[in-house]
Amino acid sequence: MKKVFAFFMSVLFMLGALTGCQQSSGASPSANPSGASTSNAEKKEPVSLTIWYENDQKIGDALQQQLDKLPDVKVKVQRKDKMTDALKLVGNDPQSAPDLFFFAHDKTGLYAEMGILAPITDFISQDAFSDFIPMTLKAGTYKDTLYQLPIYFETQMFMYNKKLMSTPPKTTDDLLKFAQKNTKNGAYGFVEQHSTAYYAVSWMHAFGGYIIDKDAQPGLNLQGTVDSLKYHKPFIKYQPADGDYNTMTALFKEGKAASTINLPNLAVDAKQSGIDVGFAPLPVVNATGKPLSPYAGVQGVYVLKSSESGKKDAIAAVLQELAKPEAGIALSKITNDAPANNKAYADSFVSSNEIVMNLKGSADAVVPMPNVPAMDVMWSVTENMLSAVNKKDGDPKAEAEKAQKTALTQIADMK
Amino acid sequence: MKQNKLRPYLYLTPSLIVIGLIVVFPILYTGYISFTNMNIYHWFNPRFIGFDNYAKAFFVFDSGFLSALLRTVLWTFLNMVLQMAVAYLIAVLLNTEGLRAHKVYKTILMFPWAMPGYVSILLWKMGMFNNEYGLLNQWLRKLGLNGVRWLDGNVSAFLSCTLVNLWLALPFMIMIIDGALQSIDKAYYESATLDGAGFFVKLRNITVPLVRPIIAPAVVITVFTTFKQFDIVYLLTQQQGSKTGADIHTVITYTYEKAFVTNNYGYSSAISMIIFLLLIFFSLYTNKELREGNR
Repeated sequence: MKKVFAFFMSVLFMLGALTGCQQSSGASPSANPSGASTSNAEKKEPVSLTIWYENDQKIGDALQQQLDKLPDVKVKVQRKDKMTDALKLVGNDPQSAPDLFFFAHDKTGLYAEMGILAPITDFISQDAFSDFIPMTLKAGTYKDTLYQLPIYFETQMFMYNKKLMSTPPKTTDDLLKFAQKNTKNGAYGFVEQHSTAYYAVSWMHAFGGYIIDKDAQPGLNLQGTVDSLKYHKPFIKYQPADGDYNTMTALFKEGKAASTINLPNLAVDAKQSGIDVGFAPLPVVNATGKPLSPYAGVQGVYVLKSSESGKKDAIAAVLQELAKPEAGIALSKITNDAPANNKAYADSFVSSNEIVMNLKGSADAVVPMPNVPAMDVMWSVTENMLSAVNKKDGDPKAEAEKAQKTALTQIADMK
Repeated sequence: MKQNKLRPYLYLTPSLIVIGLIVVFPILYTGYISFTNMNIYHWFNPRFIGFDNYAKAFFVFDSGFLSALLRTVLWTFLNMVLQMAVAYLIAVLLNTEGLRAHKVYKTILMFPWAMPGYVSILLWKMGMFNNEYGLLNQWLRKLGLNGVRWLDGNVSAFLSCTLVNLWLALPFMIMIIDGALQSIDKAYYESATLDGAGFFVKLRNITVPLVRPIIAPAVVITVFTTFKQFDIVYLLTQQQGSKTGADIHTVITYTYEKAFVTNNYGYSSAISMIIFLLLIFFSLYTNKELREGNR
């Protein structure tokens, strides 16, 4: 009896262990495409599409609400954790991959090189973008092909505590003077994530430098980049050495920092913490006459190549719906980010939102985050350079040369 | 008779299948990928390229890798010595006769183990080592001293990481040593006391020989987890967006930064296989030493 039981348990355990390997027999995310399968039905069945997203649930809900208006398309907006990795694994598998996904533009090159993206212009005419902010279209374009339908963008803003700063500085020299005068006893005149590539790059751009260009050439040892490192160094003396997100945002929200450069969500959080937040254009660097010019991140929708051809009309309908100003307005209400479609700014909510209008005002000056695959290796290399210069008093020129060499090696290693 | 010989294998089959799927298959698959050019440019159509990735991988093993390797050995050695010494001391104190509420102390000492490592590390980073808000610098300032940039300098960052590793690893070691100490028959100590043996004599001649076989596997496990420790060093000093400037790379963080960020899976797999082989040799050597030590 014991032996029979042991044998039974062995078989049961083996089956249990292998259960996870079973392929779902239910409908796949992309199942039930339109076309021939519906030919016998009296009434045309709506086409089912799946959109993955990784952001906050509220964004998914807003997208879902927007797309529920479509009469002949049934869209399922589905939240997917670790979407970047999931797309790498199943991006070319029609059974497992979604039809579209919603994501920031900076991975455009990566997915395009992997061959999983379909150009947006295969589904929607270029004319549909005539009202869009050009920067947002540039962001999702890789090797002259537009892969992303932009919906909204965000970038960094100069924000200040009106109680601690009466007049925002127009130039960086003014900002430095203010920081020198007002940094004492645990209070700071100006704080920023000084050694984080995403934030420090705005200084590089103001000097004509950059991290990487659209041809995947790193620019860490350019004269402009080195000059920006040298010029930026005195600002660090008047800021906490950590320079990380938690420290810098906490100081601003607690009213211990008079000004900062950060993303719009900090302004929202600071207002909720009782800070009277003001906004101003990013200061101009006296030496070059150019303003600090941060990266912009554009959120939008991509179409996967694996999506079946029978769904082309349905995908086009989804894209047309999301290209309307209403989509940008709905998401702007949640994120306080700026819609990509200029027509959205006619809406009273959008035009009365100080944060959104400030973002819109900076759209011509900001630089879309590079979308080349090589950018993936540049974050770490650039931050090693920044922390060596800013936190360990390294020589800007020497560190920049070292970082450029590492960047070139790592880019070569990608192939 | 033949049936009896086969039966154990039948019972083992489910376990072997599970081990094969979750342990052996990933290793073999990594080995396979290491011989291909699987990267984002050949994602779905990788081809066999022989030992090219291995040839390239050996360039990673440059002077930076060697110093990372030496640092990893030092890191492993220092952590093991500290863990053993502190855990032994705490375990002995926990076994003190007449100690009240020792179960409460044991429970408290297990807390770091109950918390997810990632959370603990970030709590240490923000709550203890942060220059602005960290408890350590708050104390120093209250004493009228200047704050210390704990994670910026190489030495201070290394020691800070060691402290966090100690915090995370102690519960396991305390539990093992505590269990080992409790398994020793008290009669040995009573006889030794009657014979006039002191604390150190009892430690050398009774405690160490009797706890050694129990602690040895735990030491081997801990040596490996410490050697391939990634989270602590990476999250405290290398995390993207809050790099501190300290260069205290271990073998794993160094290769991660050199290879894994490249999205070149063929190349990264080749490096993984080399590190895997290094650890296998290390493991065989350690096991041999332990076997000889137990004789």
